[in-house]
Amino acid sequence: MADLNQTQRELAPEEPRPDGQPGDRELVERAQQGDGPAFAMLVERHQRQLYRLALRMTGSEADAQEVLQEAFLNAYQKLPLFRGEAQFSSWLYRIAANSALMRLRRKRRAPDTLAEQPLELAGPRFSAEGYLEPASSSDWSQRADEKMMSGELGDAINKAVAELPDDYRTVFLLKDVDGLSNEDIANALALTVPAVKSRLHRARLALREKLGEFFDGAK
Amino acid sequence: MTSPIHHCKECVDLLGEYIEGVLPPERAKALEDHLSTCPPCITFVRTYRATRKLCRNALATEMPKELMSSLSTFLGKFVPGFPCTKSETAAPSPVGPADSGPKKV
Repeated sequence: MADLNQTQRELAPEEPRPDGQPGDRELVERAQQGDGPAFAMLVERHQRQLYRLALRMTGSEADAQEVLQEAFLNAYQKLPLFRGEAQFSSWLYRIAANSALMRLRRKRRAPDTLAEQPLELAGPRFSAEGYLEPASSSDWSQRADEKMMSGELGDAINKAVAELPDDYRTVFLLKDVDGLSNEDIANALALTVPAVKSRLHRARLALREKLGEFFDGAK
Repeated sequence: MTSPIHHCKECVDLLGEYIEGVLPPERAKALEDHLSTCPPCITFVRTYRATRKLCRNALATEMPKELMSSLSTFLGKFVPGFPCTKSETAAPSPVGPADSGPKKV
């Protein structure tokens, strides 16, 4: 959880920071006046989060690298147009997300948005009255810690995540692994916040089912 | 006065917001009342939380240092005054070349 909190602190540094470093707003104003080192500070501050976004969207480190180059250069060129109505980080994520989508589209005719993909997701099973079926309530959580270092578990997680539809996987990774806010994810992926919440929850339910199958098989 | 939660399905539907602490207090109370009488849902909450934790630990990733370095080098070609990791010459235009795109590094 500490990691997520740290990430959130990195996400919204519009105002001056407790460490004495200038906030994004001041750095943007300086960069707009041609201050290269100020732009470099913005890059240093946001590159890790942008990298995660690009990596999650493209699934490729090489593509993520090119998305980052394109996004930061694009942001620099458009900086005179940035008026500060939105957070700089949100503006930057949107530029990077567009760049990643363009790249995906070029490579495999990806849909215009991440929301257009078919959905086949596992989830818990309920009785007609709405009660959980026994198969959906096996408690493997206590065994999760002792299995943490298992290579088999890591493989199972990677496989389960890879099997999620693209848009669900991206939302899940950005939220639960990388710690972006629902609002930043919605902005980056051109989704509504309720759509982000819905995809996130359904992705978690599907992954929980897969992990349940893994632990049941490992008894 | 909020309506009680009688069925597990409603409990599961609210779990995402519940574990993030953004469920309205009266719904959170109704959910906790349901949990107090429903062992299968308690198990469900535990495994739902464990799913997030396991995936976060397995999939967390950091930006490679080499990539940070190559990004700096790349931007140093277009942004005057941008500190580079290698000696590069910045373009004279304050906004860089309009038709320049990213290059493989």
